[in-house]
Amino acid sequence: MIITGSTEIPGQHSPLGRRNPVAKLGAAFIPAIVLLAGVDPVSSGIVVAAALASVPAWGLRWTDLIRRGWPLGLAITSIALGNTIFTGRKGGAVLVDLGPLLITSESMAAGATTGLRFAAIVLPGMLAVLTIDPVDLADSLVRHLRVPPRFAYGSLAALRLAPLLATEWEVLGRARRARGLEAGRNPVAALRLFGGKLFALLVGAVRRGTHLAVAMDARGFDARGPRTCARESRFTRADAALLLVSAGVVALAVTLAVGTGTWTSSLR
Amino acid sequence: MSATNPSQQPAASQPPGTSQPPGTSQPPARGRRWRTVDIIVASVLGVAFGVLFAAWNNFVYPTVYAPLSSTPFSPAIGAIWLMPAVLGALVIRRPGAALYTELVAASTSMLFGSAWGMSVFLSGLWQGLGAELVFALLAYRRWGVGMAVLAGAGAGLAMGVNQAIVSVPEFSLDWKAVYVGSAVFTGLIAGVLSWLLARSLARTGALAPFAAGRAQQEV
Repeated sequence: MIITGSTEIPGQHSPLGRRNPVAKLGAAFIPAIVLLAGVDPVSSGIVVAAALASVPAWGLRWTDLIRRGWPLGLAITSIALGNTIFTGRKGGAVLVDLGPLLITSESMAAGATTGLRFAAIVLPGMLAVLTIDPVDLADSLVRHLRVPPRFAYGSLAALRLAPLLATEWEVLGRARRARGLEAGRNPVAALRLFGGKLFALLVGAVRRGTHLAVAMDARGFDARGPRTCARESRFTRADAALLLVSAGVVALAVTLAVGTGTWTSSLR
Repeated sequence: MSATNPSQQPAASQPPGTSQPPGTSQPPARGRRWRTVDIIVASVLGVAFGVLFAAWNNFVYPTVYAPLSSTPFSPAIGAIWLMPAVLGALVIRRPGAALYTELVAASTSMLFGSAWGMSVFLSGLWQGLGAELVFALLAYRRWGVGMAVLAGAGAGLAMGVNQAIVSVPEFSLDWKAVYVGSAVFTGLIAGVLSWLLARSLARTGALAPFAAGRAQQEV
């Protein structure tokens, strides 16, 4: 979903895109947690390859993925570079030696591995999140993970205010321009103006939230009797299969990494 | 969206009608069941910060921050990530508020097209827990600026350790220490900023339904 409140969620008819949100998130959580334990190119490479191979099954086009995920490319590059420079591994052939800056073949390898590992941690979650509708997510969190419904639906209601916040931001900007408050090229003035708008936005959001809470209470949101659900959320065998496949891929990746001797604990 | 930890909200998972007879609509007891307005305002604060996070992730990060994002000092300008946790607790003043607000913020930015996927949610979980633990250690009785700074530091420590494992696992130990230290430092800033923000919010009268707003009016 995007910030302007478009209801167009991609992949609602694809084999993986229409899985239960809890199953999708669970399947993404498994690599994101397990890969934290170690740093190695084999397990990370296998998870990235599996995630990339699954892209068509999510009903996502490659252009979608690039359009939404390009900051990830920057992050991977930045993480790889940072780890190359600040790593403690300085063995192997010296590539760059500028006083305190020493880059060797071993530190390059360490940097590249962390970049790949970051991709493996993030990519499955990105695929899952791109195809999740927040309403379905709240339903399945309540139904399958027993999240307290008042919190799940309360935050869903607040999430619906986000597009309004974007509109209000523009209104606040126009109001300030009408009053002659413009920063021009002065960065300090721009920052102060920005801060003022931000604060006004937050105050407006809190007031709106208070009104919303009264309206919800008037409709029995706080009622303590048994609660029914308007929509049905099902956890099918295919959803369980998605979780199992994810666990299988991660288990295979870690086994191969340990088997080839590349697995190193991240807590050294 | 908001995977709240049930153990953080003991009152919310009670069987209906056990804590109070039905009909008494406003439970005043501190730290008990969350009122609807508590839930909604915490959520709204979380969503507002989540939108900011999304803006940061999609606009500020790629243009300004990316080249710096993996230096040992990079956490030092990440104070905004920690603010929902501290601000949520200062405004709502209930057990679980820090964790809940931070989780909503993280989930919002995740759902609004974050390129970071689940790692945003996990960061939110650890940061929220970091702040929550500090508030819990003082039994949810202190809400002053000192408390806010400590809670910010707790969140910052959690952020630093999490990021050190996720983003910079290959840093040498010294640089990792600098990295985590920068994160704690930014947590202190986040604590002060959140406290100032909570005070300003209270002065506008927007926090009238909360103890945080009433304390301000008495001054």
